[in-house]
Amino acid sequence: MNSSYIPLIFVILIIVATVWIGIAATRASQTASDFFVAGRSVGVFWNASAISGEYLSAASFMGIAGMLMRTGYDALWYPVGYATGYLFLLLFIAGPLRRFGAYTIPDFAEGRFDSPLFRKIAVTFVLFIGLFYTMPQMKGAGVTMSAIMGWHYSIGILVVGAVITFNVALGGMKGITVVQAFQYWAKLFAISAPLFVLMTVYGGYSTKLMENRANPADVPRITKETTLNFKGAKDAPANAVAFSSLSDTLITFPDGATIAKASPSRKPLPGEDKMPADAVTKWGEIGTVFDSPLPRGKAHAPETRMGNLGVVTFPATAKPSDAWAIHPFGVTKAGMPIFKDSKAIKTAPKIEFETAAKATLAPGGYFPNAPNNKTWSNPFGTLTSKHGYPLLYTYSLIIALVCGTAGLPHILVRFYTNPDGRSAKRTAMLVMIMLGCFYVFTPMWGTLGRSLLPELYANNTTDSVVIKLPTVLENKLLGQILSGITSAGAFAAFMSTFSGLLVSMSGAMAHDIYGKILRPNASPESRLKAFKFAAVGFGAAAMVLGLLVESFDINMMVGWAFAIAAASYFPLLLIGSWWRGLTKYGAAIGMLTGGTCSLVAIVLSMLLDKKILTWEVSPIVRTLMEQPAIWGVPLAIGIMIIVSKLTKPHLPPDVAMKMLRLHAPEEMGFSKDYIEEKPAH
Amino acid sequence: MAKLPDKLVEESPQFMPKNSSHLSQLSSADHERLAHAVMRRQSLLSLRVAAVFIVVIFGVPLFNHFLPEIAATPILGFTATWLFLGVLFFPLACLLAAYFIRESNRIEEECSDWRTVLGEPPPNPLLRKEGESHTPSPYEGEGRGGVDERGKL
Repeated sequence: MNSSYIPLIFVILIIVATVWIGIAATRASQTASDFFVAGRSVGVFWNASAISGEYLSAASFMGIAGMLMRTGYDALWYPVGYATGYLFLLLFIAGPLRRFGAYTIPDFAEGRFDSPLFRKIAVTFVLFIGLFYTMPQMKGAGVTMSAIMGWHYSIGILVVGAVITFNVALGGMKGITVVQAFQYWAKLFAISAPLFVLMTVYGGYSTKLMENRANPADVPRITKETTLNFKGAKDAPANAVAFSSLSDTLITFPDGATIAKASPSRKPLPGEDKMPADAVTKWGEIGTVFDSPLPRGKAHAPETRMGNLGVVTFPATAKPSDAWAIHPFGVTKAGMPIFKDSKAIKTAPKIEFETAAKATLAPGGYFPNAPNNKTWSNPFGTLTSKHGYPLLYTYSLIIALVCGTAGLPHILVRFYTNPDGRSAKRTAMLVMIMLGCFYVFTPMWGTLGRSLLPELYANNTTDSVVIKLPTVLENKLLGQILSGITSAGAFAAFMSTFSGLLVSMSGAMAHDIYGKILRPNASPESRLKAFKFAAVGFGAAAMVLGLLVESFDINMMVGWAFAIAAASYFPLLLIGSWWRGLTKYGAAIGMLTGGTCSLVAIVLSMLLDKKILTWEVSPIVRTLMEQPAIWGVPLAIGIMIIVSKLTKPHLPPDVAMKMLRLHAPEEMGFSKDYIEEKPAH
Repeated sequence: MAKLPDKLVEESPQFMPKNSSHLSQLSSADHERLAHAVMRRQSLLSLRVAAVFIVVIFGVPLFNHFLPEIAATPILGFTATWLFLGVLFFPLACLLAAYFIRESNRIEEECSDWRTVLGEPPPNPLLRKEGESHTPSPYEGEGRGGVDERGKL
């Protein structure tokens, strides 16, 4: 029986539930403040559920599991950083921000520094970070829909985009709060329940980790003939296939293939020889290949040698009849083998597809692109050692995640929905607990995926491990049901994060731009109208952007948003709340410099990754470009302090009063809400 | 005990300022002092908790780097460092958060009256009740522990 329609049913269920809850909650949305900050009446539990629901995006639901599967231990920093960033938020920002009584970060920027100009700068950043963050959500929706239903990439985007835009325009913040709170629990169920079934059948988390460590040099093996779809150059670097250096790998291309490039998997150091000519040899015909897998490690007399002059030129086009043997080879320097720990260093060819292609891997070899057990299980593996400075990479990553979390505008706006500073703090803590409960499961998916579905390594699709892993179950129906549950969870992830972003962007538009800059005297009704128009506009913009980023990596785009937030809003809020000497010039210049420099570094790094830029960059600079937080955050803070010292006369005269508003307990009577509660109708 | 409901406190202690009656009398120098006093205690607490957190989270990579054998010790099927980072770190962070909230609320309670913060005698509750609009002098009452007493009434 074909049961592949089951995931679709679950996805439809979650969409219907989302719309229904959104409509039901909308009835309760009456006032302008309901729309913008849910009337400040949201209880700690619901608010924490909603923040967690909003925060757990496509990157959290699918990306972390995939990254952990791909890179092992190092990826644990992601869940840790994502969850414990809230500790920083709690320690330094949550209480004061709520007490200050501003609706949004631009409110804070203007109120704290008495500068309408600063509001404009801050609004720009809200929109900027928001749009950056919507792109990966949209991509996740498109990819999931095409993974489970084989539909075109754009359909998932249109469905998610339309549903959420409708919900937000209808219900505003209050409607969305309930939806997001529901979605947190849906996601928690979706990430945990299928895992319990899988672990009952195949063995638990620590069992799999132990198996992985048993033989440090081992790599997941190809146990049966495996046909996979590989990506083309437009998805670079995901079109690369680095073959195993442990044994030969036999590969055929049933529909032919065009290969852009063949090179050694291990980047040759200066002076090392190029790839030997016999690293890739033509091997047999289709049909004869898979009957008797070749004994591992034995060299085979190549039937056809390709290339010459010591460089393999993999044929640009592999014909359907071609079957290839990919051989590991020793790394040499001027013809002499290089040793490390008295073992000759070996590597194997890496090929990059020009266009998407189908390829079949013969049993008996090892999966390409998979790190060995030792690298995977231990710290400083493939993720952080990428450019040769693992410790630096790790620290910069930690700073980006922790500080970025504390500076995401669409999360911060949620803290205004608490009735007071104290409940804001309690909310932050409950969010940490809820996120911890969720994130503890994500590495389990990656770990089980490595053991049970290693084929995802070969074509760089580990991101889909959460969706695909349940289908390995013997019971196909159960497998499809569980896969349906995780698909629905993934959809909940895109929808809740996207709706949060849409609320924060539309809120910034209606409240900060329309209500404060364009028409300061606008009535609450017309602000509401502006909110709805803005929601539709941004929804449409996000869908268009989503269509444009099909070839970008989800985690990478989320990384951009985090790095920008870490070096712009986080310093602004931290220093602005705690240092009375901060002037508007210091704050604005520091924020702009930190955010812009980080953004430029990351974009350049991405262009280098995609080989659009071909600069020679030293590895340490490369590390700092890819993970800019370690210099970006101190840079922003340093500039804030220096410029503030230079512009001391511009300190707001009542800075002590502002500090009291930020820090004095409500009972003392210094707090005041920025916007009075006025009924909208 | 005589019924002397302090309306402001009873109605909604979170929204209604209970001790704001004489705020208008504070000079900006007082504001400065008050802000300094309130922020000092809270920031010391935040920095203390943050220091613990930073030492732990920044210590893990150093530990992995310099003591890889200990980091790889098997515990319950995990390596020590995997167990710590992948599982135990979450509850640890929550414990830090719980400690911070308890202490921070204690500080807020102690700071909820500006008079106590500035080291001035708290007001007489009877006087406060009628003193909302006209305020002769905040320093007339001399009973100790104004906050606690009003809480009991």
